[in-house]
Amino acid sequence: MVKVDGYEVPEGLYYSKEYAWVKIEGNRVRVGITDYAQKQLREIVYAELPSVGATINQGEPYGTIESVKAVSDLIAPISGTIEEVNEEVQARPELINEDPYGEGWLLVVKPSNLEAELAKLMDFNQAVEWHKSMIQEGK
Amino acid sequence: MTRRIVIIGAHAAGVDAASAARKTDRTAEITLITEEKYAGYSRCGLPFVIGGRIPSFEDLIVFPPSYYKMMKLDLKTETKATRIDVGKKVVETVDRSGKTEEIPYDSLIIATGARAFTPPIKGSDKAGIIPLRTIEDGQKIERSIREGAKTAVVMGAGLIGLETAVALQERGLKVTVVEMMPQVLPAMLDADMAKVVQTTLEQKGINILVNKPVEEFLGVDKVTGIVAGGEQINADLFISAFGVRANTQLAVEAGIALGETKTIKTNARMQTNIADVYAVGDCAESIHLITQRPVVQQLGTVAVRQGKVAGINAAGGYATFPGVLGSAVTELYDLQIGVTGLTEKAAKMAGIEPIVGMISSKTRADYYPGAKPIKVKLIADKESQRIIGAQIIGGEEVTQRINAVSIAIQKQMTIRELAKADTAYAPPLNETWEPLVLAAETLLMKLR
Repeated sequence: MVKVDGYEVPEGLYYSKEYAWVKIEGNRVRVGITDYAQKQLREIVYAELPSVGATINQGEPYGTIESVKAVSDLIAPISGTIEEVNEEVQARPELINEDPYGEGWLLVVKPSNLEAELAKLMDFNQAVEWHKSMIQEGK
Repeated sequence: MTRRIVIIGAHAAGVDAASAARKTDRTAEITLITEEKYAGYSRCGLPFVIGGRIPSFEDLIVFPPSYYKMMKLDLKTETKATRIDVGKKVVETVDRSGKTEEIPYDSLIIATGARAFTPPIKGSDKAGIIPLRTIEDGQKIERSIREGAKTAVVMGAGLIGLETAVALQERGLKVTVVEMMPQVLPAMLDADMAKVVQTTLEQKGINILVNKPVEEFLGVDKVTGIVAGGEQINADLFISAFGVRANTQLAVEAGIALGETKTIKTNARMQTNIADVYAVGDCAESIHLITQRPVVQQLGTVAVRQGKVAGINAAGGYATFPGVLGSAVTELYDLQIGVTGLTEKAAKMAGIEPIVGMISSKTRADYYPGAKPIKVKLIADKESQRIIGAQIIGGEEVTQRINAVSIAIQKQMTIRELAKADTAYAPPLNETWEPLVLAAETLLMKLR
């Protein structure tokens, strides 16, 4: 794990430019949003997530998260069928703020085209560089 | 079809409008236009940067560029809206490079704000009269202090004037405040409460001259002194805190109607007289909750609440803005000053006969170390006996008392009801008898 200007970027994950992270767990992937994203949104008060069995498509919105003032679409970093939805996060959306890479995960997905789609995501080193450039732009 | 929402102005009112619009419509194209280099910063924080309590002007940026990006808001900085065509439903803009553009809209929100205003006084065209409205203004003042300014004249004893005067004095300058009216904070406080503020500031070493209209700016090209009430005052730094004027020209040229306060007239949904055009913030009128008359309340809290209402409506939702009480607070040295509703003076002007209760108490149990004085002036309508206003000056805990009275007014509470309020107490935090309740009791005595 490194911190880029206060934003955590863990190793071993893949990242999309829509602020999603992807963790490969055997033949399934776990999906969530980055520390950077949750910090921009501030206190998250609502998470609208799809149901188990639904399919998501890389680059397309699958849900929304809302803070008191902000709202953001959740964009799928990978395509596949949803096997698990974090119900705990729907009851306690603040988990996304407290632990975006752990308890604040959003979905577990059975990917349909993993290898090809991973190539479109950023690895750890690329994600660190991307965070640096975002922070530079933000100033 | 994708809804196109254009917002002119990107500070308190504009950005809150954009956020609310995005929450209401997730797919709308939302464009924010601002002439300034920095968007989404807190103007209210400027004096506290100058005073050194906030490290830098950049700290005042509440919404950094990353916010707009995540919310998919198209922010155009250093871009001026030059014309609104309400027939074609387009806003014409020009950016820093001179490039012009026509931005079409389905809904338009005008949040053009207000500008610092210097009255047409002899010599007011000379250089060196600095307002405090923008980060750039703040940087000018900062530069002047760093270049060795030792003395300052602040023209106007309103909120911004006094906050700036304190800030400059905290930076080691010798400060004189000149005010045309016979008291400080003339729009906020009655004369009796204003006297408390003035005395405190004078004890801290600020020179305050009331009843002194500025008559002339002296100097060759650059101002070196002023004449106020016949008296000449020289200084190194001159702050214009006369007040602000709504930026309405763009709206007026587009045929958008102003109200009797010369700011943009709106209904409860913040709609103007032109279809699909809304106005919010310092450029828009509000309805006063007590008098039911239009007023200009150029406050950050009003701006964000109006912005939210307009944002929801512009994006196809439904929301209304109920009106204002003019609740405001500030801190000058260790004195907190708050107001809500009508002053005694304002009540009389509105044709309401006020009755007044005053009480001086402490912010903690009298015996508890650090207990600070607090003075409450509570105002009620003689006939209905409803609370219509309060002014509070104290060492601490002023804001939430003002908020409590504000809610009481909104709920049309009577003096008798407030006198029976179930309040909280512990020696380090309050007196056993809450000062607001005591003030209500003194009012009741006047009705015996």
